Amino acid sequence: MSRLVKGILTFVVAFAIIFALQQNESVLASDIETDSQEIIEAYDNIRFYSSYNYQTLTEDRLNQLIVDFYVPATYGDVTITWSLTSDFLTLSDNIETISVQSTSGLVDISVYHVSIVKVPTILQGDQVFELVGYFQYQDVSATSSYFGTLVPTIPDTFYGGVLYTFIRYIKLFLEGAALTLGISLVGTVIGFFLALLIVSGKTLTISDFDTSFVRAMKQVLQKISSFYIVLFRGTPMIVQASFFWYGLGLFGDALLCGLFVVSLNTAAYIAEIIRGGINSIESGQTEASKSLGMTRFQTMRYIILPQAIKNSMPAIGNEFVINIKDTAVLSVIGIFELFNQTRKIAGMHYRQLEAYFVVAIIYLVLTYTVTSLLKRVEKRMDLPVKELPSSN
Amino acid sequence: MNEYILQVRNLHKYFAELEVLKGINLDVSKGEIISIIGSSGSGKSTLLRCINFLEQPTQGQIIYHGVNFTERQQDLIDLRKNIAMVFQQFNLFNNLSVIDNLTIAPVKVLHKDKTASKAKAMEILDLVGMKEFAYKNTKLLSGGQKQRVAIARSLMMDPEIILFDEPTSALDPEMVGEVLDVMKNLAQTGITMLIVTHEMQFAREISDRVIFMHEGIVHEEGLPEEIFMHPKETRTQDFLKRVIKG
Repeated sequence: MSRLVKGILTFVVAFAIIFALQQNESVLASDIETDSQEIIEAYDNIRFYSSYNYQTLTEDRLNQLIVDFYVPATYGDVTITWSLTSDFLTLSDNIETISVQSTSGLVDISVYHVSIVKVPTILQGDQVFELVGYFQYQDVSATSSYFGTLVPTIPDTFYGGVLYTFIRYIKLFLEGAALTLGISLVGTVIGFFLALLIVSGKTLTISDFDTSFVRAMKQVLQKISSFYIVLFRGTPMIVQASFFWYGLGLFGDALLCGLFVVSLNTAAYIAEIIRGGINSIESGQTEASKSLGMTRFQTMRYIILPQAIKNSMPAIGNEFVINIKDTAVLSVIGIFELFNQTRKIAGMHYRQLEAYFVVAIIYLVLTYTVTSLLKRVEKRMDLPVKELPSSN
Repeated sequence: MNEYILQVRNLHKYFAELEVLKGINLDVSKGEIISIIGSSGSGKSTLLRCINFLEQPTQGQIIYHGVNFTERQQDLIDLRKNIAMVFQQFNLFNNLSVIDNLTIAPVKVLHKDKTASKAKAMEILDLVGMKEFAYKNTKLLSGGQKQRVAIARSLMMDPEIILFDEPTSALDPEMVGEVLDVMKNLAQTGITMLIVTHEMQFAREISDRVIFMHEGIVHEEGLPEEIFMHPKETRTQDFLKRVIKG
């Protein structure tokens, strides 16, 4: 089917070209108007050729220039003289001949050589240049401007490469960092609330006067909570992510699935943190609360949990910092967080060392900044201060 | 006529194999102030903690106004609303300010109005001399101040009985006085008090009745004068000799 369509299209296009050429011939036969017509056509159809395999430079490629290129000296009968003002490029005075591939095989073309005399550094940035063509045909002439951009190329040195990678791709890095921070923060917050549920399950106490049904329910909930914690702390997050994304195809959206995995994973860790926080509250307060007639729920809600959570805040903050680092594994399910973004960048110039060096610095800056911010908050809130966290 | 509000019947308490209470009987009349004395490990505190079920009695009955709560544990909150407790370690709620320590139970348990509870809390804090600390963090208080707040907190529930579990044992000596003064004032109001204490002079002054416990049983009980001046049992005599000398 598609072959048929292609065939028809080719036929139609070929016919259109023949038709157009016939028209041109008939126009050429007339006088002065035809001359200007030639010129207009010349600078409409002008082509530049890259020094790399003499490929035709489309307008797009001219704006991403990294190699020498050629400008035509003539277009049919129209002669073209060029002028170029740029500190980075020079235009040769003499005409060269190159062979370019066309539909009718190799064709020799007279060209001027535009060579790069100086590669702009990443600090100098993209260099826009203007090529002015002067078209002459018999006694008619016209000028036209073409704009292109010479872009910096990655230096061979390590430091140059690092600087280049950083400046050139800062936007991509920042996008990745924003995603990393976003997933980590949202994941930690959701994980916190999930953890409260898990902790309530895990710290259920069975009292002597529970009915057997209530007792059984409590035991089941306790078991489920414990199992949840063992499961999520005992398996790598990369496996969890792959399981939920590739295995179950959850949500049909990798980002949502990733957020889901981070939240569940963090919940297991925070649950253990809060449980420790609860255990650290002296039992006297629970007894006092009981002796005043408060229920177990009220005691938890108003007395124990507020203190346990407050004491757990530094450790929960650490979980956030750990997540900033550990969400790198979400690259496995195709989320373009900071690490995956870096892999993409590293592939652009095949310069792994520079890309991963830059991202290491970015990760360090992120974790260090967040850690110091959290420390400040902790001091304000009069919480116990913790050191820079290690990974889970 | 003389109807008991609280009766403890044949109370036994085991901690694993260890029998801490070996059949305690105790009748408490309204307005009575009872001091419980005895050496460490005699079961005084356990008795008190069993009365409001902070410890589950192994055997026996706790009867409050004719209701046997050992069989009505689902209604424990009704018992605890009326029997307050003051602890050796104060056990103030560390996340709450002084005034919130006082108002939380009335507001959450008795569903009292918050502003009314605050007004009442200020009155009671005034009573124990802690009014100017109402909005302070409990961490900033001395032991004596904490205990006075704890007493105020127990009063907020308008309890019929207050259980004092060695209220001055964790205090520095110079702070004991202020707490005992508050308790003495409280005794004037006609509230029923059960006090586990090592302050013999205080027990003698304040009590209507003194109970001497030894190894999980009530060894001797009587008027303060009888117990302190003319103890009948040799164990009581030994204990008092040791304590009063010290």
